[in-house]
Amino acid sequence: MKLSVDQVEREVARLWEVEASKSGAARVELLTLVALVSEPQLLERAQKVLSEVVKRVPSRTIVAVWRDGAEPAITADVTLHRLAEGGPACGDCITLEAIGAAREWLPGNADRLALSDLPVCIWWVGDLPDHDDLFDRMVVNADVVIVNSQEMDLRDLEKLSSIAQRSHGRYALADLAWARLRWVQDLVARFFDDEQGRACLPGLERIDIEFSPRDGEKDATSTRSGLLFGWLAHVLNLPIDSPQWRRGDRWAEVTLGSVVTRFEQRPQKGVRPGGVVRVGIQCKTGRFEIQRQEDPQAFRWSREVPGASTPPQVLRVLSLDEPTLLLRCLERPKRDPLLEMSLQVGSRIVRPVAPRLSSLPPPVPTT
Amino acid sequence: MTSENPFRVGLETERAPAPCVFVIFGASGDLTRRKLLPALYNLAVSRLLPPGMSIVGFALTEQSEDEFRKNMHDAVAEFSRRKPIDETVWSDFVSRLHYVSGKFEDPANFGKLREKLEELDRTNGTRGNRIYYLAVPPSAFRMVNDNLAKAGLVHDPDDASKYSRIIIEKPFGRDLASGDALNADLHRVFHERQIFRIDHYLGKETVQNLVAMRFGNAIFEPIWNRNHIDHVQITVAEDIGVEGRGKFYEEAGTTRDIVQNHLLQLLMVMAMEPPVAFTADEVRDEKVKVLRSLKPIRAVDVVKYTVRGQYGPGNFAGKPVPGYRQEPNVSPTSIIETFVAMRIEIDNWRFAGVPIYIRAGKRLTKRVTEISVHFKQVPHALLAQQGPVDPDVLAIRIQPDEGIGLRFVAKVPGPTMTLRPVTMDFRYGSTFGGSGPEAYERLILDAMLGDPTLFARADEVHAAWRFITPILDAWSRTPPTELPRYPAGTWGPDAATQLIERDGRSWRRL
Repeated sequence: MKLSVDQVEREVARLWEVEASKSGAARVELLTLVALVSEPQLLERAQKVLSEVVKRVPSRTIVAVWRDGAEPAITADVTLHRLAEGGPACGDCITLEAIGAAREWLPGNADRLALSDLPVCIWWVGDLPDHDDLFDRMVVNADVVIVNSQEMDLRDLEKLSSIAQRSHGRYALADLAWARLRWVQDLVARFFDDEQGRACLPGLERIDIEFSPRDGEKDATSTRSGLLFGWLAHVLNLPIDSPQWRRGDRWAEVTLGSVVTRFEQRPQKGVRPGGVVRVGIQCKTGRFEIQRQEDPQAFRWSREVPGASTPPQVLRVLSLDEPTLLLRCLERPKRDPLLEMSLQVGSRIVRPVAPRLSSLPPPVPTT
Repeated sequence: MTSENPFRVGLETERAPAPCVFVIFGASGDLTRRKLLPALYNLAVSRLLPPGMSIVGFALTEQSEDEFRKNMHDAVAEFSRRKPIDETVWSDFVSRLHYVSGKFEDPANFGKLREKLEELDRTNGTRGNRIYYLAVPPSAFRMVNDNLAKAGLVHDPDDASKYSRIIIEKPFGRDLASGDALNADLHRVFHERQIFRIDHYLGKETVQNLVAMRFGNAIFEPIWNRNHIDHVQITVAEDIGVEGRGKFYEEAGTTRDIVQNHLLQLLMVMAMEPPVAFTADEVRDEKVKVLRSLKPIRAVDVVKYTVRGQYGPGNFAGKPVPGYRQEPNVSPTSIIETFVAMRIEIDNWRFAGVPIYIRAGKRLTKRVTEISVHFKQVPHALLAQQGPVDPDVLAIRIQPDEGIGLRFVAKVPGPTMTLRPVTMDFRYGSTFGGSGPEAYERLILDAMLGDPTLFARADEVHAAWRFITPILDAWSRTPPTELPRYPAGTWGPDAATQLIERDGRSWRRL
């Protein structure tokens, strides 16, 4: 049933009353989670993800979609989320549909429907358009802004970096692709937990990052690999001012100072596009490698460093689905300086091989 | 060492343990099968074991390394919280498992152990780091301790290049004298900072959350004192009986098994002053002050302030169950308590005059561990037309259904001012989802990291026994022929109800 926005709260209250009379369930909500669905074909996916997330974090979800139309209007649809079909309710679910120019009204209406005194989390579903102030206007009152750089192009690292910088600490930027990188970071870090490992770092010569490409991959590397390298370059304090790039058909190499980093496409069955397949670090005195195994969730960690005998390890890395990643971002809704720095460094390194925002045509004025 | 790793800065796991050999004495026993190996395996699944880390089982049982590995596979399959076994992880984990058989009293076996450890240092890069886990009866502690020292397996605590640590399980003695003697034995070989006395209650997320709740929120601390708190109740209730541990229980009883350690740990965390930092010594300094502040129960008052009981036959979940005296390995004339309740007081500025009612027992109505803080009545009964208003209660549920509930009164909708208690509930499971690490996982990891915050310190153990021992002595001076009996499946003997009701209060319904 389509409602006008001013009927939403009344309808939500009615649904909860009915719920309480049936099951005695208490209404508990911890935050407002707003999903901005940038493309209509992503709507179903977003709804599915939210319905899983609220099972763990009881919330009000607001899904905002838009479509063309002459008569500007916003209508709403209201239901309750449930732990299972026919089971107890665990949140309320509001879908806002904006038609035509009413898209501009979404920020105010989403704000009006946000639960009072609870955090607001904005999840941008899909690719970020280059010139669209809806995102900027939505994040004004947000506490957490979640994106998925995996669904973006390499050049979008720069855009995300500027979004993080513009927040001035008002909101925390979280990236689902960054959350996926946690295990790689941890495995890289454990190469250097001891002095023998760290002693090799001054002789760093080469880094190899192999990744599973998207269909028709055009970028020099996947966004996730670019972000991973941004982190590595930040930690290693590599000189990023004048990166020298070379590109081949399925590979690209960048030289920063005396360190060469090679990105290579390595399709592997069972690995999501953008997923890291291998990381190798070569120093004058040591070699370090993380290699995905035939079982795509298993990795072999190994290193050879002087003065330390370390047997290789095989480790399991769980495949994280979108609801789990979103939950991880919600668990720690705080600014992540490491992500911000990695975006900043990564975007500067890839700038020569990714079209810059400023080089794109200006937006067409809307009337 | 790991704090210097630039790659760890800003990561979720900022600290990583250095590779070590984890030696389990009593590796063929129940604790190893049920808790230790599953915990180590789960740390491996979570990628928290350092590369090269090795596990050496040491026990009397003659078995080959392959047999030990097979037995541990079965144990993990049965007792791990993660099922089924991830064979990819296991195939790597099993290569870390080693076994040495022999008697603990024979020093030659410790020479054998030493050779094994040195071999692992060479092949696995464990660099002389050792953790010794004593999953053996307390009677064997001294023997293992001495033989470790004789075999040169305990490093100088000031040697920064390598470490040796020992983890011991309760009971830490059975009274003040034996507790002090155990500490003295340990200190002959290990420095206090090398000793990790495990009390798995401290590894529970909810106990740590109690610290977070008290000191991470501004609203609780101002009311956490005698001006606002009427009394506190702490319950550690189990619905099971002694479950084949009759022999052990005949030696221990509930006071030694639960009160002296788990229950007093809960009391300390509930009552301690804010530490100046969340570091091992600062936290433990504050905890031990609580124990030192406990008002001793004089011998003449023991009857008044303590209650013992023993479960008789009854039912559990609709099935008949035997009484304690009918359990295997239990004397038919046993006067060991399976239930204890006490009224205790903390003589300090914050809690003076606030009674703390504690109770613990087996074969009670349900399994529940909870601390409830009962606040005072409103000072003026403005809204008491229909009788007294129920005071507010903050309940911290440790297990099961970990969480925090606040009971307060609200107006029932309608034309009259009718009040009714309502509850605001926070449940760990529904808020954060999934199951967190088990207590043993957290504590073993902390021991590998060298962080003793969640372990009991010698002075804590001493102070706990100093409070408990006079009570045990008073009981033993006038042994009854029978303890008050309570039917299995109830909340203990009537005397426990009287203990609290004579103060005009009642046990919280759990």
